Amino acid sequence: MNVEIQHGPGSATATVRLDGGETCVAEGGAMIAMSSDLSVETTTRQREKGGLLSAAKRLLGGESMFLNHFTAGPSGGDLWLSTDLPGDMMSLELGNETLMVQAGSWVACEDGVDLDVSWQGMKSLFGGEGFFWLRLTGPGRVIVNSFGAFYPIEVSGEYVVDTGHIVAFQETMDYSVTKAAGGWMSSILGGEGLVCRFHGPGKVWAQSHCPPTFGRTLGPMLKPRD
Amino acid sequence: MEAEIKDRPAFAHVVVTLGPGESITAEADAMATMAAELELETTLNGGFFSALGKRLFGREPMFINSFTNNTMQEKQVMFSQGIPGDIMSIELNGNSFCLQPGAYLCSTPGVELGLKWAGVKSWISREGLCKLEVSGHGTVWYGAYGGMVEKEVDGEYIVDTSHLVGYDPSLSFNVQLAGGFFSSLFGGEGLVTRLEGRGMAVIQTRSLSGLAGWLNPRLE
Repeated sequence: MNVEIQHGPGSATATVRLDGGETCVAEGGAMIAMSSDLSVETTTRQREKGGLLSAAKRLLGGESMFLNHFTAGPSGGDLWLSTDLPGDMMSLELGNETLMVQAGSWVACEDGVDLDVSWQGMKSLFGGEGFFWLRLTGPGRVIVNSFGAFYPIEVSGEYVVDTGHIVAFQETMDYSVTKAAGGWMSSILGGEGLVCRFHGPGKVWAQSHCPPTFGRTLGPMLKPRD
Repeated sequence: MEAEIKDRPAFAHVVVTLGPGESITAEADAMATMAAELELETTLNGGFFSALGKRLFGREPMFINSFTNNTMQEKQVMFSQGIPGDIMSIELNGNSFCLQPGAYLCSTPGVELGLKWAGVKSWISREGLCKLEVSGHGTVWYGAYGGMVEKEVDGEYIVDTSHLVGYDPSLSFNVQLAGGFFSSLFGGEGLVTRLEGRGMAVIQTRSLSGLAGWLNPRLE
């Protein structure tokens, strides 16, 4: 699977070139164009894995309940993937490692990558407006998107990231959801609330902008739903 | 202190490197990432009523955060705004600058944030009832939805309502119809802001209310 990202960092789109018979798994709605001889299979689970429970977990994860499996014909094919919000996209090659990706930031992956919704317990719930994490285990290629620009951080020691700004991080890193400031008053009133404190070494990919904050800013201007 | 505005103009964010002992002030929730060793202190944005006023009328948060580096090494913090768009900075040397509600992002200590009444005209032109006047000595970073254009006004200039980001306090503004009555109503321009005087004005190339206006009729 060959991935080319174009028109970053504002309007990124990923062109996936598949060899004959190769399959790419993408979230529902991500495909914007494709070769006519690509076959699409929509499942509520990854083939041969999971079941209805897995699909339900994915729904909670903010990802579409449906996964599309695009398989190229014998001569290979092209697949164009995109996202809802303006921003950048990135493709990462995973070795035998696990990447935790924020639900909403995951776009697609190679068929061999294991995709699971990870329940991080109460930490995740408090961590930031109901974020769930997707657990992606390689080997294989993964495509993620960012709202805004990617901001990769090599952590050695500790680093603090506002939870809405996290795109992905290596599972080997420890992290704790803590108050931003020393006191509770500062944390709540200062608007930073709870943040994620990563303990390295490891890598965190952050995004420059935060979808929930944009939603909160634009939301009040929109007509109320009935 | 070193500060760099990155990924302009669509997704601008400010990366600040603080030397030992240095600090920077930012509006609440502006921090996206920071070195764990930095200390964060939250204070009221002015006196209690001033802060309350800023929250109600200035669309600025009631609290501001101060990030201080109490270590002996350089530490980084990154600030971004809630909306996609550009960020610019202005140097103040005892002078002041008016910022529209929500535009302020962060500033060096030594800059004071004051809430000023902007007048009913300002409210009619959808620029808000109040404006934030920054003064003192230092640097202020401000941003907007969309890109930003600086314009030196000498005499008069027209800016579409809700597209003004900041301006020299020496400029005064008036609201008027874009064209004649017919053209204003049907030409889609409606009301505009007329800036008068001599000074700099900063204009944003997109407006959030424009986006909302486009989305609203399409919502279920």
